[in-house]
Amino acid sequence: MNIANLLAPERIRAGAEATSKKRTLELLSELLTGDAGDPETRNVLESLISRERLGATGLGRGVALPHARVATVTEPTAALVRLNEAVDFDAIDKQRVDLLLALLVPEDSTDEHLRLLRSLAEMFRDTDFCEQLRGNQTAEAMYQQIIDWQEQHGAA
Amino acid sequence: MAVTDQLIFLAGALLTLSILATVPADRSGVPVLVVFLGLGMLAGALPMDGVQLPNLGTAHLLGTTALAVILFDGGLHTPRSSFRTGFGPGLMLATVGVVVTTAVAAGLLHAWLGLSWPEAALLAAMVSSTDAAAVFYLLRARGIELHPRVRNSLEIESGINDPLAVFLTLAVIEWMTRDGGAGSGALLWMFVLQLGAGVGVGFAGGYLLTLAINRCPLSTNLYPLQALAGGLVVYGAASLLGGSGFLAAYLAGLVVGNRARIARRAIQRFHDGVAWLCQIGLFILLGFLVVPGELLPIAGSALIVAFILIFIARPVATAVSLLPFGFSWRPMLFMSWVGLRGGVPVVLSLYPLMAGVDFARDAFNIIFFVVLVSLTLQGWTVSRVARWLGLLLPREHPDTSRIDLERPRDHELVVCELPHGSPATRGSMGDLEPPEGVRLVAMVRDDDLRTPAPELLVHADDTLYFVVPTHNTTLQERFDHWLDAIGTAHPVQEQAYFGEFALDAAAPMADFASVYLTGVPSDVESGESVAMYLQRKLRHRASEGDQLRLQGVVLVVREMDGGQITTAGVRLPRDTS
Repeated sequence: MNIANLLAPERIRAGAEATSKKRTLELLSELLTGDAGDPETRNVLESLISRERLGATGLGRGVALPHARVATVTEPTAALVRLNEAVDFDAIDKQRVDLLLALLVPEDSTDEHLRLLRSLAEMFRDTDFCEQLRGNQTAEAMYQQIIDWQEQHGAA
Repeated sequence: MAVTDQLIFLAGALLTLSILATVPADRSGVPVLVVFLGLGMLAGALPMDGVQLPNLGTAHLLGTTALAVILFDGGLHTPRSSFRTGFGPGLMLATVGVVVTTAVAAGLLHAWLGLSWPEAALLAAMVSSTDAAAVFYLLRARGIELHPRVRNSLEIESGINDPLAVFLTLAVIEWMTRDGGAGSGALLWMFVLQLGAGVGVGFAGGYLLTLAINRCPLSTNLYPLQALAGGLVVYGAASLLGGSGFLAAYLAGLVVGNRARIARRAIQRFHDGVAWLCQIGLFILLGFLVVPGELLPIAGSALIVAFILIFIARPVATAVSLLPFGFSWRPMLFMSWVGLRGGVPVVLSLYPLMAGVDFARDAFNIIFFVVLVSLTLQGWTVSRVARWLGLLLPREHPDTSRIDLERPRDHELVVCELPHGSPATRGSMGDLEPPEGVRLVAMVRDDDLRTPAPELLVHADDTLYFVVPTHNTTLQERFDHWLDAIGTAHPVQEQAYFGEFALDAAAPMADFASVYLTGVPSDVESGESVAMYLQRKLRHRASEGDQLRLQGVVLVVREMDGGQITTAGVRLPRDTS
């Protein structure tokens, strides 16, 4: 599975404003469904929040990877947000979070989405990559950077 | 007079050299005990007028004293909580393990080297116990955090396995000399006495010593000395009653280290120094005893003995002893590799020399050689093997020192320097949140004493001063844990070890399954939490770093609090496509 296929520039926000963890998750849900008014947005948000109740999905060093299974999704879908101002995310290293990638997978997906999640975690473990991502001014540039990273590290 | 002066000079010079040698040894990873042994051998080869090699009696006296003190110190530093996970495996390794090692090694020595049965049995018995000095030293090296259950098991094993090795050795010597022919009944009685008197005197002595320390108003500097004296009394009393003095010394140390309410840290610090002195003295002495020229002729057979011991007898013994405990192959392999032989076998090999057994001189040289091989080969590789097997937790203890406080009673001052990259340095003093009951009382930054106001930002290299109650062991454990969490600054290694995500272990297993598994596993009981499920499926008392594979996902025990799992890690499957 190609990480770049999960994303599209319209589901990326470079330099968003959010004041809380909840607000950040709302923003990601809206990006994932493409429309804040969609009743599905509520459902996605609730799935993400209920996953956070198991334990925060912060990976450390300012990055978080919220994820959930959702019945109405047919293909794995992701949204990416870079916040201007980091928010408190209860991450294990207590660091505030400013880079978030949310992943939705279909209800019936098996191992594949776990491998996907792991590849994403590995990508965000690359500190240079994260720093560059933080420096990007547009959604297109962020998207391009992820494509480049994947080419360098082989299709995951 | 001249001899006295020479001896004092020689002792001082050797001690100085040994202490200085720890610096390059630590850096290069050469086991420092081998360096001491080498220094002893070098010194023994020096031509000196009038200075004689220590005779066997003296060597035995000094060696035994050193071992007793090392074991007492080992006990002092073993928190009671270690026994929660390490007692069962440690006890099995110290009993069944010793017997199996002896039996397997004796059989192979008889078959492969053509030794007579008594000779083979003698050699095997002498090398059957692991060395507390070496094990404690290597497993507690700075900057290493070994899987706790594995470490506790190995440490407890090395603390309590000497009586059986001593007994087996004495029994074989008895058999070889057959003076008056001690029957099997007498041997059995001797064994029961060794164990019974060892345990009895050890605990009784430990409690009495603790009582004396807690009740007698001594000058502060005398408490550690009183503890040392008490440890020697316990060793002596147990041995005089026919019990195992080594076992008694370890157990007494254990009781004092956990129950003394006054000067406990001072006692521990003092004994750290004394134990070092004993280790240096012991290994130099052992090096002194050997005649290097005699080692060459037996080198071939000694290598075979070492091979049998390290690669066959110990692994078989570990596998058999640990059978009931559900260890996976990695910890099993590691525990078999850390069958370090050190001072105990060499001191034991003095027994047959003193008893005048024919084979004794060769046996002594072979044992010495085996110890040299074991310390070098295994000692050198312990941390690398642990890393390779994934048994090193990605944690670092921050530098701490602990000072007993007289007022308030039952409190100690813990001074801790925050390392670079510590997670605490991203927040303020108010975010530190040490466990309930612990007070952050002061902070030093750039040599300035400051009040740790809640809004003050934490910096690396800040030195924090905590007042911690000592009467509550759970709280102490919790605080140590909290310190570890503050000292750990390796998100990458943490992620590789504990997995990508951390879960609140109190969350229902069903919720976990709904995100990561295909369906709730059929063996999950209704309403069961992740912690309860993990604990049940691990089939032994959980310890941080324990893992459970569920479909493609691995659940890792990440944090524990007083025997309960509080945080679990989720390690996702690697993308192999």
